[in-house]
Amino acid sequence: MVKTDALIIESSDQVPRRTLFKRFPIPRNFGVSPGSSVERGRNWPAPANATRIKAFDIYRYDPDQKKNPRLDTFEVDLDDCGPMVLDALIWIKSRVDPTLTFRRSCREGVCGSCAMNIDGGNWLACTRFIEETQTPARIYPLANMRIIKDLVPDLTHVFAQYEMVEPWLQSKTAAPERERLQAPEDRAALDGYYECILCFCCTSGCPSHWWNGDRFLGPAALLQAWRWLTDSRDEAAGDRLDKLEDPFRLYRCHTILNCTRTCPKGLNPGKAIAEIKKLVAKRHG
Amino acid sequence: MDRYRFLSPLSRASGLGSAKAGFTHWWAERITAIALVPLTVWFAASLIAHSGSDYQAFIAWAGAPVTTVLMILLLLGLFWHMALGLQVVIEDYVHGEAKLWALLAMRFLCVGLPIVGILAALSIAFGKSAPL
Ligand code: SF4
Ligand code: SF4
Ligand code: FES
Repeated sequence: MVKTDALIIESSDQVPRRTLFKRFPIPRNFGVSPGSSVERGRNWPAPANATRIKAFDIYRYDPDQKKNPRLDTFEVDLDDCGPMVLDALIWIKSRVDPTLTFRRSCREGVCGSCAMNIDGGNWLACTRFIEETQTPARIYPLANMRIIKDLVPDLTHVFAQYEMVEPWLQSKTAAPERERLQAPEDRAALDGYYECILCFCCTSGCPSHWWNGDRFLGPAALLQAWRWLTDSRDEAAGDRLDKLEDPFRLYRCHTILNCTRTCPKGLNPGKAIAEIKKLVAKRHG
Repeated sequence: MDRYRFLSPLSRASGLGSAKAGFTHWWAERITAIALVPLTVWFAASLIAHSGSDYQAFIAWAGAPVTTVLMILLLLGLFWHMALGLQVVIEDYVHGEAKLWALLAMRFLCVGLPIVGILAALSIAFGKSAPL
């Protein structure tokens, strides 16, 4: 069900209250360093016999050419192509330009590979319908990441931040003979958190991570931190909180909720972070 | 992030480790925000109530013990909250050496201005207010 008109965003299926500006009203490439500004690229017309045509503006960057990134326009024959943005990218790669580079694996929204910026918002290319996009659809890589090629961002740092929250079960008690038991309510505490596919749509969209991403862990890593803090089988809550309680690592989140707005799995990283802050408060008295 | 240094990804991400602080700041921000709600309402309502008063009547109100205490609390809450908030804004957007100077200037104002206000409130209370 699509919820509208909410002040506090709880999930990405809530339509924004006000959409006065589709994007912040400054010129494109404003303040961008000369080597990163995006230039007009090539036009790749549709095949001659195509009738239903849709244009895609796609960000291209090739580190082997000493050139700026560019925006290529591809015309896609919709009658020859599947319904999703990822289908269009695959169609382009196999029919038009084999050098177009992007990550994908599962094509069903569970691997997190195909996260990219579609019409200004981060989403998975495989779960976004082409018919829901603008014309031309604008496809950029995830924001605020260094770009390896075309739509492939360098995720090294965000995965290192994920590693920092030690995302595994920690227990000093000797391992039980059988599985570790959990009450249904305790198991339910993981709902809305264990589903995270680490696509980093949220971290890439977080303004705090843009300005202080070297020290702020970002919503993806913090949602995972909460997923382990709230796991009744885990025994390391104290150590976990020690490592999180830091003006930058945790408290740099200002509850802007871009993360929750963009999560393509409908999760709420903003709430997870608020829960961590509440847990720290509880520990203090 | 200093991308030209040869640091392992984990070393970049862990930096200098956790400061094990930040809760007090976050909590004080919330406490002062809550305290400011009734104090601001009281202040605004009082000003409106006295919009028709002459100078003498206003000074009599401003010098009353309850007014003085509430005024001092308002000044403390307001500037404390402001200092905490501005600190976050500066830490967010100002990087490098400028950050230290911006924080120092901000703190100077956020400590100095409420002292001015408190002295003013006290001098009215003790009948030392300057004549118009
Ligand atoms: S709620 Fe926090 S983590 Fe999410 S976008 Fe805002 S600042 Fe970033
Ligand atoms: S919380 Fe959502 S947006 Fe963030 S990494 Fe997980 S699935 Fe992706
Ligand atoms: S291809 Fe796996 S999430 Fe899109």
